[in-house]
Amino acid sequence: MEPIVQGLTLVLDPVNIALVFGGVVIGVLVGALPGLSSPMAVALLLPFTITLDPVPAICMMTAIYCAGTYGGSITAILINAPGAPPAAATALDGYPMAKRGEAGRALGLAVVSSVSGGVISLVVFLFAAPMLAELALKFRPPEYFALTVFALSMLASISGGSLLRNLIAGAFGVLLATAGIHLTTGVERFTFGIYELTEGIGFVPVLIGLFAMAELLAQSQALNVSYERITSVVVKLPSRADFRRVRWTILRSSGIGTFIGILPAEGATVAAIVGYNEAKRWSKNSHEFGRGAPEGIAGPEAANNAATGGAMVPTLALGIPGSATTAIILAALIMHGFRPGPHLMQETPHVFYAIFGAMLLANVMFLGVGLGGAKLFSRITLIPRQLLWPAVFVFCMVGAYAFASSIFDVWVMVIAGIVGFLMKRHGFPPAPLVMGLILGRLVEESLSQSMIMFDNNWFRFFESPIVDGFFLMTVIGLLWPLIKRRR
Amino acid sequence: MTESVNTDPSEENGRERAPASSFIDRADLGVAFVILVGCGLLYWTTAGFEEVSGLFAQDVPPEFFPRLVIGVVAVLTLALPFEQFFVRKSGKYRGRDGTQNIRPSTYITAACLVAVVASIAFLGAALAMFAVCLALPVLWGERRIKVILPYAILMPLAVTLVFSYLLGVHFEPGVLGLVLR
Repeated sequence: MEPIVQGLTLVLDPVNIALVFGGVVIGVLVGALPGLSSPMAVALLLPFTITLDPVPAICMMTAIYCAGTYGGSITAILINAPGAPPAAATALDGYPMAKRGEAGRALGLAVVSSVSGGVISLVVFLFAAPMLAELALKFRPPEYFALTVFALSMLASISGGSLLRNLIAGAFGVLLATAGIHLTTGVERFTFGIYELTEGIGFVPVLIGLFAMAELLAQSQALNVSYERITSVVVKLPSRADFRRVRWTILRSSGIGTFIGILPAEGATVAAIVGYNEAKRWSKNSHEFGRGAPEGIAGPEAANNAATGGAMVPTLALGIPGSATTAIILAALIMHGFRPGPHLMQETPHVFYAIFGAMLLANVMFLGVGLGGAKLFSRITLIPRQLLWPAVFVFCMVGAYAFASSIFDVWVMVIAGIVGFLMKRHGFPPAPLVMGLILGRLVEESLSQSMIMFDNNWFRFFESPIVDGFFLMTVIGLLWPLIKRRR
Repeated sequence: MTESVNTDPSEENGRERAPASSFIDRADLGVAFVILVGCGLLYWTTAGFEEVSGLFAQDVPPEFFPRLVIGVVAVLTLALPFEQFFVRKSGKYRGRDGTQNIRPSTYITAACLVAVVASIAFLGAALAMFAVCLALPVLWGERRIKVILPYAILMPLAVTLVFSYLLGVHFEPGVLGLVLR
């Protein structure tokens, strides 16, 4: 009981409330702006939170995560340009509803569904994470290795992209994580005589480069893009009839979103797509989908926000990120000296409850911000990209530099940005690379320890039923697209 | 959106792409070649890692894991040129999204940003930020000097003040900054 009180007390500190509110506003803003995303915002914020106390810093990031996922729906509904990938499915019915003069109704449905999904997933998070952590305490290095391999295999279906390219990007991220001094032997690897690389490639500049700088270069490809906007917006709470119509959709999509979020590496985008498809499949009015069906807004919105709470479960309980943004939050936890995984629950349980409290608070806050400020937030699309993106680059430079006061890190950011841009053009998304980079050390450590335990005998991995279970799930996960096609 | 986007799958990256029935995608073949060369170079680099005794390394030498991952990347990459053949057949090809050539504006933007970062040591962080805020809007077509100039001055000033004084970030003064002082 004491950690719960301690954690919630931390959240209710006025400074923390202000930071969470700041996070919500930044999150909705960033989510609403096409091109900017919550992983980008959290990555840019990461170096500056190092000067903050750890718990408020993490709370602010989680607030951005929750609000950013919702923010994308504003522009998806008003200008048919999803501010963030998880809102893409929302545009399918949100924009047609807005076009027939019901933008306020669409926004109201989106915000209420998002908050419902977020809160339901947080309830699951509150109970599931400690149970999973309890189970994970029994894990030895072989089980951890099998778990990380399973998590990396799940990258195959991340962002709905190409299986092969996602896996290559994830493996490339793992390879990047091997740069620096080898912990067991002290041998330098892939440092090429560069002193700054002896401690490895920093998360922060790579994250900023991949998410922000790469997007800046992508934006320079589309300087003449403009949007058709719907201007007359008065956000309305869903009517009783609307609520009755979408309540089961919200509940179902919240369950789907939470489950997909819990799966390692699967994030809000996949959840939203599945949430939309299931809403359509179960709806009595499926013919209305694509023409402004309320279920078409409630389904993806409840699912994508439910995925945020779900994604925090493996992140905190196992130390395995549930999505791109939680991968950055995981990096932040490590930088602030916490040990994500079952030890977090044992050593610093108040942090877990503080994160839960902050996410709950963020959901309540963006209900208010979403209802009251949607019109204002929709106006930010009026900021000319000629002024917006130079500012983003300034923050990229400062963010990459500030963490270690190192120009080298700024170069890493620029290189990561250019590589990220080229990767994206060839269908390699940045999220698997980031997850690989963050999981890389854990994979290597657990594999090395297992090999030492097993006297280099690979077959001894199969002695553990948990390892067998994870390997089986890995094989099924990788073969699933083929199985599905056959059916 | 008002921009028209080329959606013809037979024409990608400004040149004719392999038809859907083709077994090998030429663009993917090029990407695979680059990755495999990179893997070869990295594998060769692992051969240069300092040698340690088996006892000290506990039979898990430092090159063991990187070589394993390089192997995984290489094996996966070998399948890349054929991906479109198998996946497109099912109508679910989700590979490249580069439907147009890289535009000159992107090359110039990248070059400009690299030049700015290269000049931080000389210009100092504040002037480098000023340069970005001045050059990038002009490069991207903003011509209103009344907008650009205040933006180029106020943005770096605000960032420097907030981060330097509030968050205690030490910015590079640069050679020019030191001379001006």
